[in-house]
Amino acid sequence: MRDIGKLGGLLLLITTIAATALAGIYNVTKPRIEAQKALELDRALTIALPAAPREAIFPVQANDDILYYVGYKTPEKKELIGYAFVSHGPGYSSLIETMVGVDSLGAILGMKVLNQVETPGLGTKVEETRHGEGEPWFTQQFLRKPAGQLAVDKDGGDIQSITGATISSRAVVKSVVAAYEKLLADRVKQD
Amino acid sequence: MDLQNLLVISLGVIFINNFVFARFLGICPYIGVSKQLDSAIGMGAAVTFVLTLASTVTWLIYTYLLSPSPANLFFKLFGGSAPPDLTFLKTIAFILVIAALVQFVEMVIQKTSPALYKSLGIYLPLITTNCAILGAALLNIDQGYTFIESVVHGISAGIGFALALLLMAGIREKLEMAEVPKAMKGIPIAFIMAGLMAIAFLGFSGLKLGN
Amino acid sequence: MSVTSEFTKGLYKQNPVFKQALGLCPTLAVSNSVESALGMGVAVTFVLLCSNSIISLIRKIVPAKIRIPIYIVVIATFVTIVDLSMAGFLPALHKTLGIFVPLIVVNCIILGRAEAYAGKNNIGLSIIDGLGMGIGFTMALLLLGTIREFMGNGSFMGIPVMGPAFEPVLIMILPPGAFLTIGFVLGFFNWLENKRAK
Repeated sequence: MRDIGKLGGLLLLITTIAATALAGIYNVTKPRIEAQKALELDRALTIALPAAPREAIFPVQANDDILYYVGYKTPEKKELIGYAFVSHGPGYSSLIETMVGVDSLGAILGMKVLNQVETPGLGTKVEETRHGEGEPWFTQQFLRKPAGQLAVDKDGGDIQSITGATISSRAVVKSVVAAYEKLLADRVKQD
Repeated sequence: MDLQNLLVISLGVIFINNFVFARFLGICPYIGVSKQLDSAIGMGAAVTFVLTLASTVTWLIYTYLLSPSPANLFFKLFGGSAPPDLTFLKTIAFILVIAALVQFVEMVIQKTSPALYKSLGIYLPLITTNCAILGAALLNIDQGYTFIESVVHGISAGIGFALALLLMAGIREKLEMAEVPKAMKGIPIAFIMAGLMAIAFLGFSGLKLGN
Repeated sequence: MSVTSEFTKGLYKQNPVFKQALGLCPTLAVSNSVESALGMGVAVTFVLLCSNSIISLIRKIVPAKIRIPIYIVVIATFVTIVDLSMAGFLPALHKTLGIFVPLIVVNCIILGRAEAYAGKNNIGLSIIDGLGMGIGFTMALLLLGTIREFMGNGSFMGIPVMGPAFEPVLIMILPPGAFLTIGFVLGFFNWLENKRAK
C-alpha cells in the first residue's frame, strides 16, 4: 500500500513539473497565437475592402456577436467605402466560409475564402491561385458584380463554376447572396 | 433535443467521415487485428466501448476543468476575476484519462465477467495508443459538440471503426486462399483492399444530410 | 554496436513506417502534399529527439511499474510545446495538419522508441537513435507525399511540374490514394528484399 502512495506521488510530481513547464510555454505563445488570428482577420478585411485602411474598418456588434464591418476612407469615419461580412454555406464536404466586401449599393469590392475542406483538386479550387497569377481566379470573377443577384452559369448567372465542383461553386454563390440579404436586414435594424 | 441533428452526426461519422477510410484514425490496429473475423469483432467491440466512455469523460473534463468558461469548476469553487484558461493541458489530460480509463475498464471486466475478459482483454492494452480514441476526444472539442452530441459522436465513431474492421476481416479471411503475388502478401495487399474500400466509401461523401 | 549503425538503422533496415509498420495514421493522413509531409516529419523528429533524451536521462529513477504513464506525460508535454509553437509561428501549417499535431502523442513510433531504446540506453545513443528514426519517418512521409502530390496534382511543393496538358489522377490526393500508394510502396520494398535474398 505504501508503494502505491510513493508511485502515485512520483507520478503527480512529474505531471506537476510538466504542467508548470507548459504553463510557461503557453504564456509565451498565447499572444503570438492571438496576434496570428488578428493578422488573418486583418488580411481578409483588407482584401474585402481594398480601398479602406484597416484602422478605418469598424465592427458592428449585437451583444458579443459581430454582425458585419463598416469601412471608411479615414479612421475619422469620413467617406463610407462599404461593408464587409462573413458568409457560410454547406459545400460538398464542408462548410465554406468567405469574407466579402460590398459598396453601399451592393457591388462586390473584394472577397476571400476563409475556411473550406472541400475535395482536394476539385472543390478546393474555390481558393486556388493559378501558378503565375496573383489572385485566386474563382473569387476574382465576383468583383464589381451585384451581391444580391449572383448565380453560377448553370443557373443562368455569370459566375463560371468550377469544372467538376458545381456544388462547391454554387455553395459560395448562394452563401454570399444569403449573407448579403442578412446584411441588408441587419443594417435596417442598426440604423 | 434535436434528434435529426444527432442522426446527422451519427451517420456522418459512420459513413462520410469514417474514422478509418476518411480520417485515417486507428490504422495500426485496423491493419494489425483484421486478419480474423473473431478478433475483429472483439477489437471492434472493445474500441466502441472505450470510445464512448472516453468521449463522455474527456468532454466533462474539458468543459468543467480546462476551458475558460463560466462553468469551470475551479472558477466556481475558488472564484477569481476570470475563469482560468487551462486548455493547454488538453492533450496531456486527455491521454492520461484515456490510459487510466483503459486500465480501469480492464480491471472491472476482469473482476465481473471472466468470459468477456477472455475475449476482449487482450485488445484493451492496445487501445491506449489507438489514435481513434484521442482523435474522437479532440474532434469533439474542435467541432464544439455539446455533451449529448459528443457521446453520440463517440459511439458512432466506434461503430464506424468496427464496421471497417469487420469488412476488412471478412475480405482478408478469403484472401488467405487467393493467389497473391509474393511481395504483396500480408500488409501490402491489406492496404490495397483498404484503398478500394475507401473508394467505395468516397461515394458517401456527397451525401446531403439535413439541410 | 557502432554509432553509425545506430543512426542508419532507422533509415532503412528498421524504418519505422516501411519495416515496422508504425505511425501509420499520420503517414497516410498528411502525405497528400510534400509540404505537409515535411512539416509532420520535422515535428515528429523534434518530439522524438526531446522525449528520447529526457527519458534516457530519467531512466534510472523511474520505477518500472509506472514507466509507461511517465513516458506518456513526457511525450505529451513535448507534443503540446510543438502544438502551441506551431499555432503561433506557422499557423497555415498548423491548420493543414489539424488534429494530427496533438495526435503525435499516440504515434506508436515515439512510445515504441522510449520503451525499446531510450529507457535502456544512455543519452548520447538515445539522441542518435531518435534522430535516425525521426529522419527515417520523415523520409517515408516525403516519399509518399512526393508520389501522391506528383500524380494527384502534377506538382512538387505546390509548383506545377507537368505542364497544363497533364490531367492529374485526383484519387491519389484523396484518402483512397493514401492506402493504394502505401500498399504498392510496401509491396515494392518486399519485392526488393525477396530479390536480394535470392
